Amino acid sequence: MPQFKHRLSVSEWVTLWLSRVVIWVAIILVIVPMLYVVTASFNPSQAYFSSSLIPSHPSLANYRALFAQGQFLVWLKNSSIVALSLGLGQLVITSTAAYAFSRMRFYGRKNGIMILLILQMFPNFLTISVIYYGLAQVGLLDNLWVYILVQLGGSAFNIWLLKNYFDTVPRELDEAAIMDGAGHRQIFWKIVLPLARPMLMVIFFFTLIGSFSEYILAGTIIQSASNYTLGLGLYSLISGEFAKNWGEFSAAALLSAAPLTIGFGIINKWIASGLVAGSVKG
Amino acid sequence: MLTQQKRIRQAKKRHTRYRVQWSAYGYLSPALVTIAVLSVIPTLLTFAVAFTNSSAIHFTNPSFVGLKNFAALFNMNDPLAQVFIPTFIWTVVFAFVTTALNYFVGLFLAVLLNNKNMRETRLYRAILIIPWAVPALISTLIWQGLLNQSYGQVNAVLHMVGIPAIPWLISPLWARVSIILVNLWLSFPFMMTVCLGGLQAIPGEWYEAASIDGATFWQRFRYITLPSIWKISLPLVIPSFAFQFNNFNAVYLLTGGGPARNSTQFAGYTDILASAAYKMTLDFNRYDLAATIAVVLFVLVGFFSWINMRATGAFREAD
Repeated sequence: MPQFKHRLSVSEWVTLWLSRVVIWVAIILVIVPMLYVVTASFNPSQAYFSSSLIPSHPSLANYRALFAQGQFLVWLKNSSIVALSLGLGQLVITSTAAYAFSRMRFYGRKNGIMILLILQMFPNFLTISVIYYGLAQVGLLDNLWVYILVQLGGSAFNIWLLKNYFDTVPRELDEAAIMDGAGHRQIFWKIVLPLARPMLMVIFFFTLIGSFSEYILAGTIIQSASNYTLGLGLYSLISGEFAKNWGEFSAAALLSAAPLTIGFGIINKWIASGLVAGSVKG
Repeated sequence: MLTQQKRIRQAKKRHTRYRVQWSAYGYLSPALVTIAVLSVIPTLLTFAVAFTNSSAIHFTNPSFVGLKNFAALFNMNDPLAQVFIPTFIWTVVFAFVTTALNYFVGLFLAVLLNNKNMRETRLYRAILIIPWAVPALISTLIWQGLLNQSYGQVNAVLHMVGIPAIPWLISPLWARVSIILVNLWLSFPFMMTVCLGGLQAIPGEWYEAASIDGATFWQRFRYITLPSIWKISLPLVIPSFAFQFNNFNAVYLLTGGGPARNSTQFAGYTDILASAAYKMTLDFNRYDLAATIAVVLFVLVGFFSWINMRATGAFREAD
């Protein structure tokens, strides 16, 4: 239906402009804190903090310092290893289980996902006392791979999500493949997985982004600076000599947040545009 | 044509003859094994450790102590209970206030944005979603800097308009206010997005019909918008409450649980149970008490989840 321009009544006009003012205030509260971080990252470390949004002596000193010490690159490398391992691991674990729930017959199919979902309502970071105690006993603390392994559990929610997605892949395709002599392995690899690519991407990226915000297990398991993830590194920067490090912290925070924020924007747009929901056609 | 149908039917028969496909367990095994080893076993062990005296002193030879740890946490005469009970109360207050505030601010902004006369609403929405997109760990740490009493930009801005410096992360009350406000900053975009989705699902004719009947703006909001939104967002509000209940990052990355209490070092004024358990483990090596707190949390999370499933029937279609 075409939209016709119509004259706003007085009350509509007042509502509209009041709403706009409130939203502008909200936008300022969202944007300005971020701008302060940008400003701080270009301000040399010794400069005192001010309410000005324009850096007093703009320079790249903070960025240079960040890379000169080399710590930042170590954190970035560690976090990338963790994120990619968890993302890939999650794909393997989720897709195989979701396939079974979507396409196969076995004992426990009916209530399996439900039981897993209930089990996982208890977040596994609540068991840190046992994890720390156990790892300390066998001397496996402070190991990046142990940190990855501890988080590598299957996620019932992801399985449920992907299973529902697999269910939208038409069975006729399976049946045609079976007639051609294909087994489950071929159906899984050649039909279901390729058609579910958008959803797999979503699961991969959300695992990736989630792993960058993980702190409690990282703080529990990792001890030495050479194993620090970005989260631990940034925390150590800001909780140490605060005034001295604020500039460097800002630079590091910007460099780490920017790619993830952009990635989130792309994925979010994808989901919103229905690409994921409606991408499968027979 | 006929033969093809026959072939399909035969293929289907062949497919269904095996009632149980044992290879399914092969496909399931990565998920089942990791969930068993990494979720189920640690959880069971946590329950076990809660009944022992595992700590740095009894590191290799812990012994069974029955309900002693639970008694210590709940008996008001015990010094531990004097930390645990206030921490517990703050955890509940924090989770409740923060969820309600995030929800209502999100709903409020969604209602404002859902104005058909506002043509630029998509742009506003894209900007307001930014805090959700920035990893929470990084933005919480950023706020720790911005709220610094002596150097932070928040106080610098307040100074500019003549307000004296506020001890944001230093006084017990302001530290709690800071946590709730920063968490609002992080979380309102999610609630706003959920509510906007709900608002757009309400048929426009309902409002038109109500207008014809002479309903005021407020009446339309009260009798059409709120009930519809509530129904759509409830399945997300309760899990969000359960999440906030254990929102370790929101507390620990902003205040570290501080400011410290004079009476004890085990938990500061802003510590929630999850961060208290973390400190018990890492700073004090009291695995027994940390596990006991975790058991209390498990029971509470289970209770919320049960309410959630009763209230919404969520995941009923899971099979």
